[in-house]
Amino acid sequence: MIEELKNTFKSFNEKFSKKNTIAKTRADNFEKFVQLGFPSKNLEDWKFSDFNKIILNKFKNININLDQQNKFKFNKYIKEFEHNKIVFLNGFYNDHSFEYENEEKIIFDNLKNGPAYKEHGDNSLNLLNNAFFTDGLLLYVKKGYQCKKPLVIYNVFNTKNNNNFFNQKIIINVEENSKLDIVVYSINLNSVPIFINTSNFFLVEKKGLLKLFRINELGNKDLNYNFSQANVMENGIFENFILSCSSAFFKNEIKCTLQENHSSGFINGAILAHENLHHEIKANIEHIGQNTKSYQKIKSVLSKNSKAIFQGKIYVGSNAQKTNGYQLSKAILLDHDSEFDSKPELEIYADDVKCSHGSTSGSLDEDAIFYLMSRGLNRFDSKNLLIKGFLADAIKTITNEEIKKHFLNELVKKINELR
Amino acid sequence: MLNINNLSAKIENKQILNGLNLDIKAGEIHAIMGPNGSGKSTLANVLSGKKGYKISGNIKYQNKDLFKLDIEERAHKGLFLAFQYPLEIPGVNTSNFLKTSLNAIRKSNGKKELDALEFLKIVKKKVTELKIDEKILNRQLNVGFSGGEKKKNEILQMSLFEPKMVILDETDSGLDIDALKIVANGVNTLRDKDRSFLIITHYQRLLEYIKPDFVHVLMEGKIAKTGCSELALELEKAGYAKI
Repeated sequence: MIEELKNTFKSFNEKFSKKNTIAKTRADNFEKFVQLGFPSKNLEDWKFSDFNKIILNKFKNININLDQQNKFKFNKYIKEFEHNKIVFLNGFYNDHSFEYENEEKIIFDNLKNGPAYKEHGDNSLNLLNNAFFTDGLLLYVKKGYQCKKPLVIYNVFNTKNNNNFFNQKIIINVEENSKLDIVVYSINLNSVPIFINTSNFFLVEKKGLLKLFRINELGNKDLNYNFSQANVMENGIFENFILSCSSAFFKNEIKCTLQENHSSGFINGAILAHENLHHEIKANIEHIGQNTKSYQKIKSVLSKNSKAIFQGKIYVGSNAQKTNGYQLSKAILLDHDSEFDSKPELEIYADDVKCSHGSTSGSLDEDAIFYLMSRGLNRFDSKNLLIKGFLADAIKTITNEEIKKHFLNELVKKINELR
Repeated sequence: MLNINNLSAKIENKQILNGLNLDIKAGEIHAIMGPNGSGKSTLANVLSGKKGYKISGNIKYQNKDLFKLDIEERAHKGLFLAFQYPLEIPGVNTSNFLKTSLNAIRKSNGKKELDALEFLKIVKKKVTELKIDEKILNRQLNVGFSGGEKKKNEILQMSLFEPKMVILDETDSGLDIDALKIVANGVNTLRDKDRSFLIITHYQRLLEYIKPDFVHVLMEGKIAKTGCSELALELEKAGYAKI
């Protein structure tokens, strides 16, 4: 596949890169990607998700999409709450509306014409993203501006041909004392399997607040790798929630750096993996400043040959005194052919810190099912009620009430589809 | 209402019930007392359909074979077990649970399901009647409830579902006198000629508030003695050894 990808890259770079410098930077990234290849289980970070094997198994080849289809108008917007919107279609900017905001306070641009991002690190999918990214979002919320309504980024796919590979970037800067709530909603409207490779960067400045919620409506053959780096400055808060119910493979990897004093990071999620799905949440929280706080709660329910993984690391640097770090992962396996892997890690170099972690996995409590059935519920409804309760506990960490309610509704829909 | 005939139950090759016979007619209140390990809770579990027991003998409930009914069907047909240890169900709102259960029972009996408002009206009335703190309705089901709150919640469920055959499994254990009165009041309010009760208890105390028609002593998996309410007093004084 990599040989074919080389040809794809060559013609892509010639066609797409308008400047030689951009073409050169992209080529550097691609070269390093070729050296490393797709990540395999030989890498510690990928030991539970052999992506190389997964992609070779699911895809014969991957082709970059350059078709911008400007005429298509997406209209399946969320109706439950008022929101600003940005629509991406097949990886390209399509439409936007900031109708609830003072538009002078928001700087917004797409990334169609660059810039290019220099190769960095050895995450080969990030390098691949740097080489191939076609568009994305650059968003600044200006100093002191608190957005009135959430922003929903509709990331819509409706590709009908075999252009199945999408690379995007989302870059958001919440300036001092400003606030933004975002929902990233990825939807595949067609059944052609796609591979989405996204790379995000978030900066939360002093006293800033960024809440980022992710929900997917992707197909059961789609692959999705989503990488985020979030840097949080003094008294800033970054809140992240992932509701992971669809796509054959989904890995959400987030590195949250609590750079300055009194900053906080919350990484929570619920995984409902039913029928051959493979979902992973990997969180790496770095406490650098003092008096920083992090919280992670991940709940997973697995069935029918599904696999879920939680890798959570809390790193506390030598200056990060008074750190408060918490991490909890709980999983329920509904049958014997599902698998849950958990790798909690603490790496602590400061001496005055409070860190805790816990991880459990097990089956549904038969006594609880008996209790509910003895109150007139059938077995199916009893199990669903328990699953709902179990996962809702994670969703309740969401601090935006409207979005919490929406996510709960979406979860209930998904659970009711279980058979 | 309930005819238990030569009932035996084993779990993991341990014989727990051993040829138990019991006949409960409509409108009667029966109390079962007995030492630890005599099979009281097993009897309650077998009646409500808990899996895992190897059972012989037969039970007729409202003249039908009870063993042919699944757990939820027994509930639909008016069998109610107040648990000795009610389960904590995290993430499930008590009020939603009560509504879902009540509607499941109503639906199976061909009655109209209640909407949120109709339900709220009924449940608030019950809560007031039983002198239970309304706040439990908005909490997660039994999560973090005190022992007394859990038992009161069982009584609330009993009075909402208005069952035909109620089994109370040591509902009085660990209750203070006020909570005990709430439980007794719940039972006495529901007491009528069409409804029967089987009260499993260790102590005579509850029976001061709920007057049983019969008191049975369960020992080694069968009824060793049957009497009227005075039997409970005797047991309280002399213990089980003399039976």
